[in-house]
Amino acid sequence: MKIDVGDYKGNKVVSLAGEIDMHSSPALRERLLVLIRERPQRLVVNFRDVSYIDSSGIATFVEGLKHMRTYNGRLQFSEIPQGIMEIFSFSKLDKVFEICGTLDEAVNC
Amino acid sequence: MQNTEHAIEVTGLRTRYGDREVLKGLTFSIPRGKTTVILGGSGCGKSTLLKHLIGLLRPSAGSIRINGREITTLDEPGMDRVRGKMGVLFQGAALLNSMTIADNVALPIREHTKINEATLQIMVRMKLDLVGLSGFDHFYPSQLSGGMKKRAGLARALALDPEMLFFDEPSAGLDPVTAAGLDELIMKLRNVFRMTIIVVTHELPSVFAIADYVIMLDKGQILFAGTLDGLRASDHPRIRMFLERKPEQQAYSPDDYFRVIAGE
Ligand SMILES: Nc1ncnc2c1ncn2[C@@H]1O[C@H](COP(=O)(O)OP(=O)(O)OP(=O)(O)O)[C@@H](O)[C@H]1O
Ligand SMILES: [Mg+2]
Repeated sequence: MKIDVGDYKGNKVVSLAGEIDMHSSPALRERLLVLIRERPQRLVVNFRDVSYIDSSGIATFVEGLKHMRTYNGRLQFSEIPQGIMEIFSFSKLDKVFEICGTLDEAVNC
Repeated sequence: MQNTEHAIEVTGLRTRYGDREVLKGLTFSIPRGKTTVILGGSGCGKSTLLKHLIGLLRPSAGSIRINGREITTLDEPGMDRVRGKMGVLFQGAALLNSMTIADNVALPIREHTKINEATLQIMVRMKLDLVGLSGFDHFYPSQLSGGMKKRAGLARALALDPEMLFFDEPSAGLDPVTAAGLDELIMKLRNVFRMTIIVVTHELPSVFAIADYVIMLDKGQILFAGTLDGLRASDHPRIRMFLERKPEQQAYSPDDYFRVIAGE
């Protein structure tokens, strides 16, 4: 998995690529928690190049959201591929995370 | 991820307990990303076959390839790596009685990964919810019903998001509604995660609901291997008997019967 952290129109965006699985999610967790420690109002995760996410990846985002909710921060997901979306729906978390279409839609809503 | 069509390829598999041969030369393949059901009468060798597929038992002859790799000659560390991709639910659930349900599910994650404890706890709750056991985290196996133990065993089998799932009679002892829920979960796991699922079952409604592919054993040999439609269309008398739930024909003549019960 590749993790890129950048800025888009004044918001922090985490762009992920590859497989988010039991091996890679500890590294993702580290990066996410460091970002969240800054208490950003909005954190966008872009899934465009993600090919797989397992339950450890999903649990990592649940943990991130749990932290962000303590200060009313928003965790948004953009450009989720169809197969990944099916996994989110299966996990019943498609209603918990803020799922946005494009990156622009995320930062504008 | 492999792209070959078959997840498992078995050739000429023979095995014996003592001097009794139980599997008598099985050759078949299990398609990747599909649900394969293994059928057959009690004692015909289904559980024994499953134990060979997960490398718990070694055959006396023949080859078993998982993702193209021969496992019958693999050493323990090698076999452990293969097993990391497998989830297994045995006939008796096999939970550790000294641990809570949550710790039972967490065990494979703790053993095989470096997942942080906070993430792990969330994963465990996700798995327990999947099998309808939310809120039972801190129960011990002895405090659960038979069907609940089975579902906890399933949650543990799913702990590592396996590529292949093996079930030995998952719905035996479950009420019809819970059993149907389990079938639905099996179908979702196949559809969403493209898991290769291998299920031993006697429940016909379950077979018709979940099977893409069917392997039927009889007396240690393959009676049928093919699609569910192929099974339905078969006119083999033993297959018809199974599908129509007819009892076995009386095996003994009255004289033989007398000798059997008299112990002669
Ligand atoms: N550990 C063992 N030692 C000796 N014989 C065994 C052992 N395990 C199984 N067997 C024998 O091997 C044969 C196949 O057993 P197996 O458990 O594979 O059957 P099965 O098809 O799973 O039956 P069921 O549907 O009742 O679970 C049986 O005749 C059984 O007596
Ligand atoms: Mg058995």
